[in-house]
Amino acid sequence: MHITPSLLYQDTQEIKRISVTIPCSFYFQSGVRDFTLDIVRNLTSLPDQWAFRFQTIVDELCNNAIEHGSKGEGELCLTLYVLPTQWLEVVVEDMGYAKGVKAQRLTEIVEEKKRLADAQVQGLRGRGLGRIVAKWTDELSFHDRPTGGMMVKARKYIPS
Amino acid sequence: MTTPIEIHFRKDLLDTPDLFVMVVEFRGEMDESNIDDAATQVYKIIDESPQGASFIFDFEALGYMNSKSIGYLSDWFSKVVEKGGILSITGAKENINDTLTTVGLDNFIKMYHSVDDAKLALLPLGDAGGQI
Repeated sequence: MHITPSLLYQDTQEIKRISVTIPCSFYFQSGVRDFTLDIVRNLTSLPDQWAFRFQTIVDELCNNAIEHGSKGEGELCLTLYVLPTQWLEVVVEDMGYAKGVKAQRLTEIVEEKKRLADAQVQGLRGRGLGRIVAKWTDELSFHDRPTGGMMVKARKYIPS
Repeated sequence: MTTPIEIHFRKDLLDTPDLFVMVVEFRGEMDESNIDDAATQVYKIIDESPQGASFIFDFEALGYMNSKSIGYLSDWFSKVVEKGGILSITGAKENINDTLTTVGLDNFIKMYHSVDDAKLALLPLGDAGGQI
């Protein structure tokens, strides 16, 4: 098992970008959550509630990428964009080793989950994207990558 | 390789010897790497408990729950209720409280600050105080 650390801190004028490439294994998610918590706390003015919420948002997006986009193979790329006092955005990209659903279908599934009442969401799955990530972000979008796989973007505008 | 999670359980007597509650302590984090195995342990505890047994899930030492673990929590609640018992949660940290509230589980699982508060609520004329 190899970890390919690729930590890029790029301060281009105002937007701060931090990108990490990690193996597609659930084992590394604990470290990714800790990393996310620290980044949100240190680079934004968001209160701790939102730092923890982004911990969950990143975890859910990465879990989906690992389970549906990679089947445990290869790597995924997590990028956090911060425009201080304006917005925070998470982008997760998988390389498409698994034949997962396409972006259009995933968009439809999430919209269906959002419309359900809490009591209607049965079963073990189905809460991550549609009930948690969608509620806690202002923009959530799915995009098919030209070279395969999917890119998911989740953005939260920081209240002034 | 999995994120560390420990599950410990004990049987605590309440006011009288025939009144008891199963206290299940969760220590660590529940995420995609460990939740299926952790769930197997909890199902076993519930399945092997007497009919009508009530449960307190002590989350004081639990640092994280992902959405799949919340799905299991919903199912554990159903199984405890099917057997005639009550399931309550104690000591949940703010982040876990926040997630459980977001998905609406707080509408049907009672949450308390401490195990003692939850036990008090289980007594025949129990005070509902201490509920979050």
